[in-house]
Amino acid sequence: MVKKADSKAAAKKAAPKASSTPSAKGGAASETKGAKASPKSAGSAAKKTADADTDAPVRASKASKSITTSSTAEYFSKNLQQVGFSSQVKAVLTTLKEAVDNALDACEEHGFLPEVEIWVEKIGAGSLKNSDQVRIRVLDNGPGIDPDDVPKVFGEYLASSKFGRGRCSRGQQGIGISAATTWAQLTNATGARVITKTPKMRKAMSCTVEVDIKHNKGVLKDREMIEWDRENGTSVEFVIDGRIQLNGEAGLINYLTGTTLVNPHLTLHSNLPDLGRQTVERVTQEIPAIPEAVEPHPHTMKLGEFIAHSHLFGRVKVGAWLKKGFSRVNEGTLKDLVKAGIKASLLEKSVDGMNEVEFKDLFTKIQNIQLMAPSTKSVLSIGEEALAKSIKRLGAVDFFAVVTRKPTICDFKPVEVEVAVARLEDRAMEADAPVQVLRFANRVPLQFDKAACAIVQALTSVNWRAYGISQPKEALPQGPYIIAVSVVSPFIKFKNASKETVDASDELVEEIRRALIQAGQRLSKHIRKEDKANDLEEKLRHIEQFCPILVDGLCRITEASEARKKRAEDGLVKLLGRDTRVAEQELAHAHVSLEKMTAAENADPSLAGTKKGSGKKNAEKKKSSKKEAVAAE
Amino acid sequence: MAIRPDQEIPKLSKELCNKLLLDLEKAKRPVLYATKCSLDNALYNHKVGYLTPGPKKVATELNVSSVKKMSRAIFMLEIILRNIDSGGVNTKRELYYMSKGEIKHNSILKPLDFGDQDESDGTIDFICELLECYREDLNCYANDRGGQTYSQQLVVTETLPDGDTAVIDLGKLGTTPFQPKNRPQNLKLKAKEKIDFCLIVESEGTANTLVANGFTKRHPSILMGAQGVPSNAVRGWCKLIQDQLNIPLYFFGDLDAYTMQNIFRTLKAGSAASLIRNSDYSAPDVRFLGVLPEDIKKYDLLDYPVKENDAQEVRALKKAQDALKNDPFFQDKRNKGLTEILNWLLKNKRRCEQQAFFTVNPRDPQMPEKIIMEKIKAGKFV
Repeated sequence: MVKKADSKAAAKKAAPKASSTPSAKGGAASETKGAKASPKSAGSAAKKTADADTDAPVRASKASKSITTSSTAEYFSKNLQQVGFSSQVKAVLTTLKEAVDNALDACEEHGFLPEVEIWVEKIGAGSLKNSDQVRIRVLDNGPGIDPDDVPKVFGEYLASSKFGRGRCSRGQQGIGISAATTWAQLTNATGARVITKTPKMRKAMSCTVEVDIKHNKGVLKDREMIEWDRENGTSVEFVIDGRIQLNGEAGLINYLTGTTLVNPHLTLHSNLPDLGRQTVERVTQEIPAIPEAVEPHPHTMKLGEFIAHSHLFGRVKVGAWLKKGFSRVNEGTLKDLVKAGIKASLLEKSVDGMNEVEFKDLFTKIQNIQLMAPSTKSVLSIGEEALAKSIKRLGAVDFFAVVTRKPTICDFKPVEVEVAVARLEDRAMEADAPVQVLRFANRVPLQFDKAACAIVQALTSVNWRAYGISQPKEALPQGPYIIAVSVVSPFIKFKNASKETVDASDELVEEIRRALIQAGQRLSKHIRKEDKANDLEEKLRHIEQFCPILVDGLCRITEASEARKKRAEDGLVKLLGRDTRVAEQELAHAHVSLEKMTAAENADPSLAGTKKGSGKKNAEKKKSSKKEAVAAE
Repeated sequence: MAIRPDQEIPKLSKELCNKLLLDLEKAKRPVLYATKCSLDNALYNHKVGYLTPGPKKVATELNVSSVKKMSRAIFMLEIILRNIDSGGVNTKRELYYMSKGEIKHNSILKPLDFGDQDESDGTIDFICELLECYREDLNCYANDRGGQTYSQQLVVTETLPDGDTAVIDLGKLGTTPFQPKNRPQNLKLKAKEKIDFCLIVESEGTANTLVANGFTKRHPSILMGAQGVPSNAVRGWCKLIQDQLNIPLYFFGDLDAYTMQNIFRTLKAGSAASLIRNSDYSAPDVRFLGVLPEDIKKYDLLDYPVKENDAQEVRALKKAQDALKNDPFFQDKRNKGLTEILNWLLKNKRRCEQQAFFTVNPRDPQMPEKIIMEKIKAGKFV
C-alpha cells in the first residue's frame, strides 16, 4: 500500500497532465509506469522531473495504447487450469463430466428420463509430452439443441441459460463445456463434434464447433444435415490430449459410480477401456420435479448487484420492483422501509429514475430490516427413497442408511443435505482403509481437493467410534463403508471455477455434520442388532458346548448317579433355553419383518427405499418434514 | 491361624456342587453368593483391628453368559481337589499348565481352554470367592516374596507335611535371613532370650544394611524387610509374631501416600480386596515409626516435592483423598494420627524416603539405627 501511495505521488509529480486521462484503467496503468520509472530517476530527481514534464503526454499515450481488452474466451483459454484442465487426468475427467452434466440438465429440464451413453478411448499419442490422444463421446436422449444455439452452447463462454437464476442445476455459469471445446482445439486443433436433433427437426445437424477465442464466439464448421437413427438427442465428441485414469478417487469409475448414485433416474451405458460396454439401469421412473427459480433475497446481494437487478425491470415503480423482483419482500416490508426513513414518494418513483444515492440509501435501509429467511423451495434433492434404491447400484451392500435433511438456510442460501452410508459385503478387504467418500454438489461428483471440502471437514468432525466404526483421531472413519454426501443449493459456494470443493463455512459444515450424525445413529442401531444376533448364536453354542461339561464335572465331584446326571442335564438345557428363547424370538421377528418388507418392495417398487436403515418411519418422517417445510413457507 | 484343615475344602466343594446339581435337577436357576470384597463393603472397628466384610454379597447366577465361567470353575475345582487329596502343592502358573494338559488329552473339554494364565488365575480366584477360602487353602501357593527376618533370639519350629519338625535358630544363621512360608500355621515361635520389639523395614536393602551394621547384635529384636507391598507370607508372619511373641511391632518406611495406604495400612488392617482373609493376614498392633512429618524438621531430612508428572505419585495422592473420605480405617478416630499424616502429605505435596536418615550424619554408619532407637525410646511413632 505504501509503495502504491508513493508511486501515485511520483506519478502525479512526474506527469500532472496524465491524470486527465479519461480511462480509469489507463490512469492506473500510467501510475504503475510512473512507479516503475521513479527508481531509475532517483539519482537526479530535479532534472528528471523537468524532463518528465515534457515527456509525460507521450508516455501516457503509449501506456494507453498498451492496454488491451481480452475476450472471456481468451482469458479462459490461457487459464484452463482454473476450470479443471490442470492435468492430463483431470482434462479427461472434466471433459466427460461437463458433457454428462449438460446432458442430464437438458433432459431434466425438458422432462426426459435421461439415458446417456459414454465412450472414452485412447486413440493414439497426444501432441503434448507424455499424453495420449483420447476420444470422449457422450450421447444423450435429451431434447436436442436448436441449431442456432449450438455455437453458443459449445463455443461461447458465459453463454448460459442457468446463470444466476436461483435454481438447482449442475451447470451454472456456462464455462465448462466451452472450456472442453477450447482444450480440444488447443491440443488437437479441432473443436467439438456435435450431432443434435430436436423432435421438430426432420434431420439431425452434424457440425464441428470451435471457439473463436478472440471474440468469444462459437463457430460452426462442416455443418451438414444427416439422417440419424433417433428422434431427438445430442451427441458430442471431443478428441483431446489427456490420460485415462480408471481407478482411484480421481478415476472415471469413481465418477460414474457417483453419478449413477445421485441420479437414480439415469440409465448409463459406459464404454471404458478394457471394461467393455456396461449398463447401469435406472432405478426410478420419476423425473425429478425441477423447482421453480426463486427471486433473489435482498440480504444475499451487494449494492452493485442490487442496482444491476433494477435494470432488468425498467420503468416500474420502486415499490413494485421490490415486491416483484425479490423474494420475502411484501407490503409490510415497504411500510417498514418508510418507518426506517425511506420517503414514501421514493417508492412511487420509477426505478430507472433513481440515482445512485437513492439506491444506496434504499439498499442500506433494506439490509437493516428484518426479513424472512430465503425460501428453501428452490432446492432439488434426490430424496431418501430414490437414494435408497440407487445405493444398491454401488455393489454388494449389506446395509445402508440414508438421511435427507429438511432444506435449511446456510449463509443465507437455501441448502439441503443428503447422506447415504452403505456397508459393503466384502468387509475383510478394506477393514483398515479409510471409508470411501463420495461428495456431490448439485448432484455432480466432486473428486479433487478433498481436504478443504466442507463435506470432508464435517465427516472428520463426527465421532464415528460412537456408532461402532473405527476412526483415528481427527481423520476419516475406517472400514468397508461408502459415505455419500450430497449438498444441493441454487447457490453453492465452490472454492474455484472448476467446482472441485465446496467452501467450508461453519454453518454448512454443521448442517452436513448433523446429517452424518443421523445416518451414524441409524447405522449404530443396525450394528447393535447384528451384535445381538451374534450374541444369540454364541448363547446357543454355549448351551451345546458347556451343559454336558458342567453337569459331568458336578456329578464327578458329588459322585452322583446317572439318573441325577440326566435330570440335571435336562434341567440345565431348559434353564439356559429360557435365556435364549427371548433373543431367538426377537431375531425371528426381525427376519419376518425384513421378509415382509422385501415382499412389499417387490410388489410395489415405490416402497423400496423404506428398507433397513432408511425405514418406513423415515419415509413418513420425510413426508412430515416436507409438510413442515411447506408450512414454513 | 485359621487355614482350613485339608478335609474341609473337599467337603465344602461337595456341598457347593451338590447344591448346584439339585437346583439343576429342578430346572431352578442356581445362584451362588460370595462376599463382596471392595471398600464399600469394608467395616473397621478398632477393637477388631482390621477391615472386616460388610453384609454385601455378589450373586453369581447360572445363565447362558455365566455357564462358561461356571464350567471352568468346576473343571479347575476338580484339579484342585485331586491336589488336596494327594497332598500336592502348586503355583497358579503350574495349575494353568495342568489345566492345559487335561484339555490336551480330552477333546470334549476343548471349549474350556484358557487363552492365557490370567483366565485361569481368575477362575482360581472365583473358586476362592465361592468357597470363601484362601488360595493357600486350595494348596495353591504364591512364590514367597519379602519377609527376610533376622534375629539373635528367635527360634522357629516348623512342622513339615510328613509330621517331622525342623527347628531353626535364627541366631545361628549369621547374615542369612529366615524367610517365612505362606503357611504360617505350621510355624511355632519361641524367644531364647527376651525380645524387645520387631522392626519391619519397607526396603529390604535398608533392612540388610541395618543388620550388617550390627542392629540385631546390639538390640534384642526381630528385624524384617517387607519388600514393598507385603505379600500374604509377610502379613501372616507379622500376625504370627504379634500373636505368639506379644512384642511391640514398628514399621519403618517412606513418608508418602503410597506407603501409608498400600503398605502400612495393608500390614496393619489388611486390604479391601482381601476382606475375607484380613483376620489371618493383618497385625493390628504394628505402629508407624516413620518417617514422620515432624522427623523432617527435627533431623533436617532431605525431602522433595511430589512430581506433578509422576503418574504413580499423583495417583497415590488422589487415592489418599478418596481414602480420607471413604476408607473406614482412616475415618476411625483411633487412627487420627495416620489421617493427619495423609492430610499433611496432601497439603504439602512433599515426600521423604526412609533412606533420608542416612543424610543426618553420613560418616556415622549407625546414625539411622540411633535415630530409630531414639524414636522408639521416646515413643515418637503413630
